[in-house]
Amino acid sequence: MTDFDLIRKNLFRKPLRTVLLTVSIFMAFLIFGMLTSLNVALNRASETGAASDRLIVSNKINFTQPMPIAYVNRIAAIPGVTGVTHSNWFGAYYQDQRASRFVGFAVDPATYMVLYANDIRLTPAERQAFIAERTGVIVGKALADQYGWKVGQTIPISSNIYVQADGRRSWDMKISGIFTGAKPTDSTTALYFRYDYLNETTTFGRDQIGNVAVRTASPDLNDQVAKAIDATFANSPYETSTVDEKTFARAFLKQAGDLNFIVSMVVAAAFAAILMIVSTTLVSAMRERTKEIGVMKTLGFSSPRVLRMVLGEALMLSTLGAVLGLLTSAVVLAGLSKSPAGASFGDLSMSPGVAVAGLALAITLGLVTGAIPAASALRMSIVDALNRR
Amino acid sequence: MSLLSQTRSVIVMNVQSIPQRLWMSLATVMSIALVVAVLLGFLSLANGFNQTLKGSGAADVAIVLREGSEAELNSTLSRDQVDLLAQGPGVQMGADGRPVLSAELMLVVDGIKKSTGTKANMPLRGIGPNGLLVRKQARIREGRMFAPGSNEIVVGAGLLREFEGFEMGKSVKFGAQTWRIVGVFEAPGTVFESELWADAPVVQSLFNRGTSYQTARVVLTSPAAMPAFVAYAKNEPRLQLAAQSEQAYFAAQAERSGLLIKYFGWPLGIIMAIGALAGALNTMYASVSSRAAEIATLRVIGFSGFSAFMGTMVEALVLSALGAVLGVAICALGFNGLSTSTLGAGFTQVAFRLQIGPDIIGQAVTLALIIGLVGGIFPGWRAARQKPLLALAAA
Repeated sequence: MTDFDLIRKNLFRKPLRTVLLTVSIFMAFLIFGMLTSLNVALNRASETGAASDRLIVSNKINFTQPMPIAYVNRIAAIPGVTGVTHSNWFGAYYQDQRASRFVGFAVDPATYMVLYANDIRLTPAERQAFIAERTGVIVGKALADQYGWKVGQTIPISSNIYVQADGRRSWDMKISGIFTGAKPTDSTTALYFRYDYLNETTTFGRDQIGNVAVRTASPDLNDQVAKAIDATFANSPYETSTVDEKTFARAFLKQAGDLNFIVSMVVAAAFAAILMIVSTTLVSAMRERTKEIGVMKTLGFSSPRVLRMVLGEALMLSTLGAVLGLLTSAVVLAGLSKSPAGASFGDLSMSPGVAVAGLALAITLGLVTGAIPAASALRMSIVDALNRR
Repeated sequence: MSLLSQTRSVIVMNVQSIPQRLWMSLATVMSIALVVAVLLGFLSLANGFNQTLKGSGAADVAIVLREGSEAELNSTLSRDQVDLLAQGPGVQMGADGRPVLSAELMLVVDGIKKSTGTKANMPLRGIGPNGLLVRKQARIREGRMFAPGSNEIVVGAGLLREFEGFEMGKSVKFGAQTWRIVGVFEAPGTVFESELWADAPVVQSLFNRGTSYQTARVVLTSPAAMPAFVAYAKNEPRLQLAAQSEQAYFAAQAERSGLLIKYFGWPLGIIMAIGALAGALNTMYASVSSRAAEIATLRVIGFSGFSAFMGTMVEALVLSALGAVLGVAICALGFNGLSTSTLGAGFTQVAFRLQIGPDIIGQAVTLALIIGLVGGIFPGWRAARQKPLLALAAA
């Protein structure tokens, strides 16, 4: 019989107790696996397609404030800028304002397709159609599937912001193409139509744009270019604020609240609870076994070996619960990714980083919960152990 | 000895023996306390947000938006429409004999949120002389109201708490314009506290808004006058606007915040509760096995199995009740009244305080007691069914 067998037999000598402890540990790791992955997914979704060589220029007052369209050409002339395009948030919805809102932007097709070629995948024919058709619109695959839209169909898309000259709030748009994302897991619940179509028909906000996206010659130039852009428009009626795309996305996500903080607090609470449950139970389990440990020591088991066995038992317990918990969260997350509610988060699956962090946490938990019983087993003298009842 | 007095004495023995299993019992209490604290944390977050939204709306104030605009940000009203609204049915007249109506415009400006250190959306509202009259809860707490026609701002107490750099006397820049902060207003428990207020005509001119407004708030003679006013705003051909009571407007926004609780608070609370339940079961089984000889002795001298069951059951309930009390205390001392903010339906930050209340405390305590109940039943069953002689022999 090896030490490993002994550890295993010790662990399961009271099967109910071990099963219950495993359930406790399992639940804590389930919470860890799910929350951490969700947090990672949200951070990543907000940065989907965020390229390191792209900057976002918005009105310095706030990104909802407009800028004049003339800025596009002035930005293009700044050294280090290799591409410029612009977009306007449309407040898009289809038929029902409450139930069917989605991301919709009015863009300049030719330049937008260049800067976001990697994130908005179209066939060459679809791209040509979008650039040629004045009322053209391209819709994400997920959105097209949801409403059963087909290429060539004309659909009425409404805005909760803009109004047409005749008072209508909806624009008829002809679907030029259905795009997919860079990765199959990227969220494609958005649509893009032509800015010139909006600009000719809207009652207000003519020749004003929302945000400008800029591509720089190299990410190393980002800071320099951003400063040059903001300096160009300083002290004008429309001052600008230029940041890289990732910073822009992160700041927007943080508007909802400090999710990182909430996740850490909940995970900490769950682990504090199992830490107490597991360590006190192990201490009491070891106390029951005091006499046995005395016998083992009499038989010539060295103190370090006894210590290793007690620690091994705690480690085995925590790893068992952790692996089951992490596996379950991976399965649940995979299921959630396929559901419509989960799809908007993009890729929800558990990243290797989260799994590794979970295992590290399991080992720490095992060592910490095993420390007190192991230390008392190490120090225990044979005479005391055998005398104890 | 009656069943009742038997049970009573076993319960007393059980509860008095808790210190013998001090650490395991303490771990059970603490883990249940953490479950209660986490659940109550989420519930008080949603409760505080909801109370703030609900507290903002008055039943006799109509808010008028452009048809189809759900948020103030997307709405537009012309000067002429505002004048027509003032002639609507049921509009309250002020002391000066003029309708109590406030035409306002709102735009989003950037501020640095203290909690995250990042830019977040703040509402800058242009209001007229009636701005305070249509919001009965609001009053200037410090300094004074902005002077009409000047670049002066008054700042809400909630916004002051959550954002950096808006203290009295400071200057802030929005675009090319510099504004001076001359006062702090409070409107406790409402969303208005999360706003900056300035003179409407100044905001119109500095932000190129011409003479247009976004919303009108109209005080009516009574809540009963609301339907007639709503119909007037909708049917008058020159208006065709969507009016509703402020109360209904904010209640609709409160509905959405329930999602956080539905998809986060309760699932997390329940998962943690199952983890704590496993711990409680372990503690109670340990209790039964450590008292095996005692239970057997009692059974031999004629105590019923029921009394043994109840002893264990009540011990579990006592532990969970202690956990519940501790959890509520952690929440009451640690989170209650904590100020925070999130992105509201108006696309701007709403500052609010976490708020615990009897109903949500009741929900969290119920969860704790369910843990105690289930954690007591099975070990109690074992205690009741224990074979007396076998247990004595083993001891």
